Amino acid sequence: MVWVFNNPLYSLSDEEQNVSAREVWEGESLGGIMEDNNRLPQPVVWLLGLTIMTAFMITFPLWGQRPNGAMYEEYVALMDTPEVQALSDDKAKMKFIVDKVKSQGSVWAALQERHPLEMDDLRMIKGQIIELKNAGKNLAEFSVVGDKMVMANFEGNMLPDGSRRERLQPWWDKGYTIDVFYVTYFCIAVMIAVKRLPNHEWQPDHDKAH
Amino acid sequence: MFKYLFAKGDDIPRGTAAVYFGISSIIWFVIGTGLGSFNAAKLAFPDFVTGSEFFSFGHMRQVHVMAVIFGWISMAFAMAMMYITPALGNTKLWSEKLGVWNCFLWNVGLSLALCLLWAGISSGREYSDFPWFIDIYVLAFIGIPLGLNVWMTVIKRRTQGIYTTNWFFAGAVFMVWIVLFVGNLPEYFQLTGLTEAYLTWWFAHNVLGLWITPVAAAIAYYTVPKITGNPLYSHRIGHLHFWSVVVFYSTPAAHHLMSSPLPEWLKSFASVEGVLILVPAIAFVSNLILTMTGKWHYFVDNVETKFTMTGVLLAIPLNMQGGFQQTRAINWYIHGTGWIVAHAHLALLGFSTFLEASAVYYGLQTIMRRKLYSLALANFHFWFLLIGFCTYWISMTIAGLIQGAAKIYEVPYIDTVIAEHPYMIARWVGGTMVFTGNCVWLYNMWMTAREGTLIPEGRLPHELAYER
Repeated sequence: MVWVFNNPLYSLSDEEQNVSAREVWEGESLGGIMEDNNRLPQPVVWLLGLTIMTAFMITFPLWGQRPNGAMYEEYVALMDTPEVQALSDDKAKMKFIVDKVKSQGSVWAALQERHPLEMDDLRMIKGQIIELKNAGKNLAEFSVVGDKMVMANFEGNMLPDGSRRERLQPWWDKGYTIDVFYVTYFCIAVMIAVKRLPNHEWQPDHDKAH
Repeated sequence: MFKYLFAKGDDIPRGTAAVYFGISSIIWFVIGTGLGSFNAAKLAFPDFVTGSEFFSFGHMRQVHVMAVIFGWISMAFAMAMMYITPALGNTKLWSEKLGVWNCFLWNVGLSLALCLLWAGISSGREYSDFPWFIDIYVLAFIGIPLGLNVWMTVIKRRTQGIYTTNWFFAGAVFMVWIVLFVGNLPEYFQLTGLTEAYLTWWFAHNVLGLWITPVAAAIAYYTVPKITGNPLYSHRIGHLHFWSVVVFYSTPAAHHLMSSPLPEWLKSFASVEGVLILVPAIAFVSNLILTMTGKWHYFVDNVETKFTMTGVLLAIPLNMQGGFQQTRAINWYIHGTGWIVAHAHLALLGFSTFLEASAVYYGLQTIMRRKLYSLALANFHFWFLLIGFCTYWISMTIAGLIQGAAKIYEVPYIDTVIAEHPYMIARWVGGTMVFTGNCVWLYNMWMTAREGTLIPEGRLPHELAYER
């Protein structure tokens, strides 16, 4: 099996192999079925490129951030303020808290909007948030799962001192690195497989075998 | 069938196994969709058939699912493999007798397995509901004999080249062995918790991705060039399709469990690959559409092409949905709702069923050398299947969106049930139309076998469709 690399975009097979492949292609009938040797149409190539780009861009964890403790820290801090205590019903309390945090400007604004909750929800996690904060924990490393604050299951990177890993939701993780590797080797492997065929400029004459 | 089980191999006419598989698949399709219609009626009308646990939804649901997957879809695949694999290799099936035994043991095993499910003996794992001893039976007496026959037929072919369809057939029968073995490991080794959940969805994902999708596509690669007489547009795109199915579909399947505590990097990996299932879909659809160039009138005139191209075109919404619904941005909303049920039916009742039906229609006529008894009934079947399926798909998609909204906004459950009730009735109407169409199909094929006009040597069934 000879490999030719002097003109890889034309063919990776030598002329003798190409002649042999053309003879087989034209000379035998596969149950009465014929095959042409057309290349992928250019719009379809663009579509595939767009698909690969989209696959990475749409799956960033940014678009699916989970609620974490830090998101609700500002809410919890406002719960016991006299303004909130003065309000009679829970809906009004929650509205006041949300509006207040929004007006102050929060780095978590987008996620707070995405993960709204009610006063009862807030009451269930309030104690845990205060406890974690007092223990010096990074609240962003804790996910809110129902009524519990649990250590996020992000593997993350080791801190510089090697003491522990950061458990923050990343915008990129090793899953994406594996994907880059996967997609790259797939493209290379398919190109090699296709370039071993006779060049697409040649089309079989189906009258020979049919 | 029984007379061929112990006959000498040479005494069994060519195509016998394919005919048995073909007829069995139609019967299972009638049973499977009948059960589906019954189950849908229970969801639409809660007072319908009560008082017996055997007719409760919890007992009946998995019987419907497994009858359709293992009875209809997989037997139609086996039928296609039994006649297309040798035809493309200019040879005969490696062992017609093994094929007949395979069909016999398949029917016996499936009947037993469904009775067990009906009685409530189940693994409790969706799509791999069979208990462990049935899983072993499926692998030993269904998967391995089928794969062996396909592989040996390909190996013993009388051509140098192997046509695209046979790559898919041979690849899929091998991959499904792995899926059946690995996917059922939780039952063999008592794996529980997250590991069990993960492997359950790894199995469900790959049964679809490495068995149903590639084999259905392989059928289109055969029927379209065969019937239209056009060459397949591109052998090269066939490579792209085949390898992208193998690479992108076989990934971890963690995107089925986006809200679970699986490692996030694993979900990211699976989620990107989940979108990339559009790569094989684009390759497949573009190759088949371009193959139809100049022959689109077959889409109207020819019943097998009508089925095939409808299946091919349904691959577009199927993969658009499948690719994007699993992303974090969308999955949180539709997960666990009727949207997923609609999507599953788009895959199994839409895309793949139309392709399998074309293979069974074409194969039975070709092997029995009998023209279709009634083209009108075949068209009736097509339209009932299509309209019934669309009614089901659209109504369940809407119901899913209602459920998603209700889930997020914490609407009381009973209010959700009331809101989606009209769509449950539409679901039952759609499913019942599919069932009715299939009853007509069974009658039509039965009459084709008994009274269909004989096709002379050297002619093909579709050439005679409009001749009296």
